[in-house]
Amino acid sequence: MTTVRSLPARRTVSRSAAQPPAPVLVSRGWLAEWVAAWNAFWFTPADPLPLAVIRIVTGLILTWSCVVWLLDADAFFGDRGWLRPDQVWRMNDQPWQWSGYFVASSPTMIRVVAGISLVAAILLTIGLATPLAALVSFLGLVSAANRAPLNVFGLDDTLGMLLVPLVIGPSGARMSVDRLLAGPGQGRGGESSVRAGIALRLLQVHLCVVYCFSGAGKLFGASWWEGTALWGAIANDRYRTLDLRGLAGHPLVVNALTLATLWWEATYAALVWPRLTRPLCLAMAVLVHLGIGLAMGMMEFGLAMIAANLAFVSATTFESLLRPFTFRNPDSPDILPGTPSDHP
Amino acid sequence: MKSPESNASRWSPMARGCASVAILAYLAAVIVPPLAGPAPASELASRILQPLRPLVGAVYLGHGYRFFAPNPGPGHTIRWTMTMPDGSTRSGRIPDEALDRPRLLYHRRFMVSEKISALVPLADAPADIRERAKRDWQPLVKGVATNLLRREGGLSVTLETVEHYLPDPGEVLASGTYADAVTPLGSYAWAEPPR
Repeated sequence: MTTVRSLPARRTVSRSAAQPPAPVLVSRGWLAEWVAAWNAFWFTPADPLPLAVIRIVTGLILTWSCVVWLLDADAFFGDRGWLRPDQVWRMNDQPWQWSGYFVASSPTMIRVVAGISLVAAILLTIGLATPLAALVSFLGLVSAANRAPLNVFGLDDTLGMLLVPLVIGPSGARMSVDRLLAGPGQGRGGESSVRAGIALRLLQVHLCVVYCFSGAGKLFGASWWEGTALWGAIANDRYRTLDLRGLAGHPLVVNALTLATLWWEATYAALVWPRLTRPLCLAMAVLVHLGIGLAMGMMEFGLAMIAANLAFVSATTFESLLRPFTFRNPDSPDILPGTPSDHP
Repeated sequence: MKSPESNASRWSPMARGCASVAILAYLAAVIVPPLAGPAPASELASRILQPLRPLVGAVYLGHGYRFFAPNPGPGHTIRWTMTMPDGSTRSGRIPDEALDRPRLLYHRRFMVSEKISALVPLADAPADIRERAKRDWQPLVKGVATNLLRREGGLSVTLETVEHYLPDPGEVLASGTYADAVTPLGSYAWAEPPR
C-alpha cells in the first residue's frame, strides 16, 4: 500500500505567500541569466586546436578550388567568359556583392588576382602569416564567387562559412608555421582564447542554420517523405560518379537511406548539442557527406561540410589524435580545456 | 577550474558588448537570407533583409541552403553546334565529363547548364511564358555563346538545353531507353569580327 506523506513547502512558495517578489527583481534575474548564458556561450575561452585543424582542411580545399579557377580563368572572370560583367547583376545582389575581378578584368590582372588568392590559400594551409592569409583567402573566395555566380555551388557557400571564423579566430595558433617560427619561448601557443571560442561558436551556429534550412526545404518535397529522394540523386547521370542503380531492386533500402538523411538533417540543430547525441550526429554527417562526395562527384563539397562539422569535435579529442603533430608547451595550462562545444 | 562566467570576464564588459553587437549582426546576416528566399518566402523576411543587404553581400552570405530540396530533380546539359571559319562544324556539350577534368571543373561548368536551364521553360510551355522567360535567360545564354565562340574560335553557335530524363526504379530494371527534353536556345554569332 502506498503511503502518502506531506512534502515540506518549497521555500519560494512560502516566501511568495509572505512577501511576493517584486516583478522588477524577477525580470532582472531572468535577464541576468540570459546575459550570463550569452556570455558563457560566446565568450568562454577555447583551445584553438580545432580551429587549426579546420584551417588546414579548409586551406587544402580552397587551394584546390583556386587551382581549378585558374584552369579556366578567362571563362570564369573574363569579359568574354561565361557571364559578362554587365550581366552579373542578373545573378546576384549588386552593388553589394563586390568582386576584385570587376576592377581586374584584363587577362593578366585576372591571373594576378587569382594567383594572389592561390598563394593566400597555400599560406593559410601551412599557417604562415595566418591572419593576413585568412583575410586574403576570404577576399579571394568572395571575389571569385561574386564575379562568377553562374559557376558557384554549395562548395563556395561552405568555404565562405568556414573562412569567416578563420579570419576572426587565432587559427594559426596551433599546427602552423607561425607557431614554429615563434619558437617554444614565444607565446607558448595553444592557450585558450576568447576569439577562438567566438570563431568556433560562429561556425557551429552557422552550420546549424545551414542544416536547419536544408532540412526544412526537404520537408516540402514529396520524394523525401516517400523515401525516394535518394533515388533521384542515384538516377541522375549528370552527377553520378558511383553507379548505385542496383538499388532499384531494393526500394526499402532507398527509403531507409532517404529518411535517415532527411531526419538527420532536419534535427541536426537540436541533436548536435547534447553530448549523448552529438557523436551520432557527427558520424551521420561524415557518412552523408562522404556519400555525396563519392557517389555524386562532389568530394570537395563533402569534405568542406565535414570540415565544418569538426567545430563540434572537442580539443581534447583532437589532442589525443594529433599529439605527434602538435607543437605545444606542456606547461601551458588551459583555463578551460576543450572547445566551447565541451560546455553545453 | 574557473566557471564559464569568470572566464568570460577575460574581456571587459565594453568589449563583450561590442562583440555581441557584431555577433548579432552576423547571425542576422546568416539567418535572414535563407528565410527570404528562394520562394516560397514571406514579405516580412524580405523586408528584414533590406537593411542587411550590404552586410550579406559583403561577406557572401546570400544563400538559401536548399540543397537537393524540395526534390532532387533531373540534370541538365547545354548542347552546342558551332560553325568554324573554314565552314566545318564542331559540336559539344556543357558540361562534358570526358573533357571537363578535374571533377571540380566539371561541376563549375555543370552549374552553368543547371542555372540557365532553371530559367528556361520547356518547349511545350505556353508562348507568353516562354517569351517572358526569354528576357531573363537570353542575356545569360549570349554569355555562354560568347565564351564558346572565343574558346573554340568559331563564327556562330547554336545552343539547346537538354533535360535528362530521370528514370524511376522500374524503368531502370526494365533497361528501357528514355527521351530527353530538348529546348532550343537560339543561334548566336559575333556582332563584330573576333579580336
